[in-house]
Amino acid sequence: AVVSTQSGHYGRGKIICIGRNYAKHAKELGNEIPTLPFWFLKPTTCYVQDGGNIIYPEITKNLHHELELGVVIGKKMSKVAKEDVMKHVAGYSITIDVTCRDLQEQCKAERKPWDISKCLDTFCAVGPFIPADKLDPNNVEMVLTVNGNTKQHANTKDMLFDVPTLLEYVNQHLTLLPGDLIQTGTPEGVGPMDRGDTVTVSIPGVSEASFKIV
Amino acid sequence: SSGINAECPLRPGEDGGDIIYPEISTNIHHELELGVIIGKKMSKVPKEDVMSHVAGYSVTIDVTCRDLQEKCKAERKPWSISKCLDTFCAVGAFIPADKLAHNDVEMVLKVNDEERQHVNTKDMLFDVPTLLEYVNRHITLLPGDLVQTGTPDGVGPMVRGDTVYVGIPGVSHASFKIV
Repeated sequence: AVVSTQSGHYGRGKIICIGRNYAKHAKELGNEIPTLPFWFLKPTTCYVQDGGNIIYPEITKNLHHELELGVVIGKKMSKVAKEDVMKHVAGYSITIDVTCRDLQEQCKAERKPWDISKCLDTFCAVGPFIPADKLDPNNVEMVLTVNGNTKQHANTKDMLFDVPTLLEYVNQHLTLLPGDLIQTGTPEGVGPMDRGDTVTVSIPGVSEASFKIV
Repeated sequence: SSGINAECPLRPGEDGGDIIYPEISTNIHHELELGVIIGKKMSKVPKEDVMSHVAGYSVTIDVTCRDLQEKCKAERKPWSISKCLDTFCAVGAFIPADKLAHNDVEMVLKVNDEERQHVNTKDMLFDVPTLLEYVNRHITLLPGDLVQTGTPDGVGPMVRGDTVYVGIPGVSHASFKIV
């Protein structure tokens, strides 16, 4: 096999986040359902691994969690056709796209890039690496709890654009490299996290990770 | 100072690679920008100390799909599809920090030998130390990170077949082909 699953790549590559990939999440924020995916990037200084701290920034008053299935790339790819994309996937991770919701709304109102709301240190919380053969990306149950209370609970079958569609779409524009992570969008139930909270993300029976908000 | 480390494969005056004109745009623009290269890890560093973390500079182009950027703004979406495609950060050779005064750098951009942008960094609204301190409040910066410090006026289109030249007169220049 040519797919590299070296753990040395995991948690190192650029992060591509998909926006609005679940219908109920689009609606809960008052957005239209998209006809095409859209994406944005997070820098590698966003990574925080299982057991680490998510830093509540001074510049926000409304830090939100967004539960997302992460796809880890194992083989360099550029303009790969949809039927071939999955051969380039090394595995998965259960993740949080940490977001300053108030600053994001301000960026949208001012027609500015979203980066200040999405790209701060520790804003990509990632669970352990899950090898590709352990999951069917179209049927992954995911749960997010805050202090033990379930806030988000979904299955990836509800995605508007499935993982192969997303990978082909992003890869038309951006070369993907081993270690790159695609966060594939959040279901509904996004909400605030406060300093002192413990946030847990899981794929029941497969993987779990916890983070403290500091 | 110790700990400063940076590398760039391009030597001053060497031709750079190709900038790829993407199929999804009909209006690719050049934006001439002074690049600042970080040499030492920094997090929430105060302004008076930021410059000791800088390894050097590069004369760069922020390549932009102007049509897609306007669409992103109208739809209140991130700008990424207009700014982040392969080859959209064209960089000239590494210039060590002691070779330039960051607030007095003359830069030129030409397309097919025709001058399009010409500026001095003294015209920046926020100077390099101010920019570095501001960004570093929110994001840790690491050796090798590049900060593109904004473009002056004169942005305009590049088309397939064009040769784009960027230069800091007397110090550094590089050329790129649009394909």
